[in-house]
Amino acid sequence: MVEEIKKNLYEIASKIEGLYGITFTDRDGVPLLKVTSESAPEPAIKPNFISTFCLAIDQGSKLGLGKTNTLICTYSQYQIVQMNKHPLVVTFVANQQCNLGQILALEAQIDPIASSLALTVTEI
Amino acid sequence: MENNLDRVMEEICLDPAVLGCLFADQQGLCIGSKGQASNETSGYITAIANQVAKLEPNSKMPVVTLENENQICMIQKADTITGAIYKKL
Repeated sequence: MVEEIKKNLYEIASKIEGLYGITFTDRDGVPLLKVTSESAPEPAIKPNFISTFCLAIDQGSKLGLGKTNTLICTYSQYQIVQMNKHPLVVTFVANQQCNLGQILALEAQIDPIASSLALTVTEI
Repeated sequence: MENNLDRVMEEICLDPAVLGCLFADQQGLCIGSKGQASNETSGYITAIANQVAKLEPNSKMPVVTLENENQICMIQKADTITGAIYKKL
């Protein structure tokens, strides 16, 4: 099943120019599923970077705008999109020219994968 | 800030044949939409415009027309902005 999901994610990722990888992690940044190319920057897929997102969304919820769904960070060379799929976090790593709108539109395709992985996390 | 864009979109939608319009930035993020155009399609619209532009890199930006049995969608990129207009057939 994991191989099938990985294959599916590879197909999704290859359709977007400049997308280096998609990772599914838990809230501590522990990777559950990782589909990355060699060009993906190492620090962006490390647990300490991903777990910072959880801290950020906790702070974001204090702004009074409701639950944080997505966080987009734009750096000089890379763009990181993180989606809150409680209890999971989905991280997309892309280059500076990548089409963010296309990444955000992937949410509907990512949802079924996230919900099936979420079941395994809650079981553990 | 977006008053000018809102005004342009209103003018476009005054045409009875127009169902909706959408504008996206270089990164595929929606900067404005009106009518039947969905915000979520902004990424795909920008991607289509960018891919088609690669066919003739030395000519000016093409207008892409997608047509189905009852409506057409016209897409064109100008500088960093991509626009899409949905029309009835």
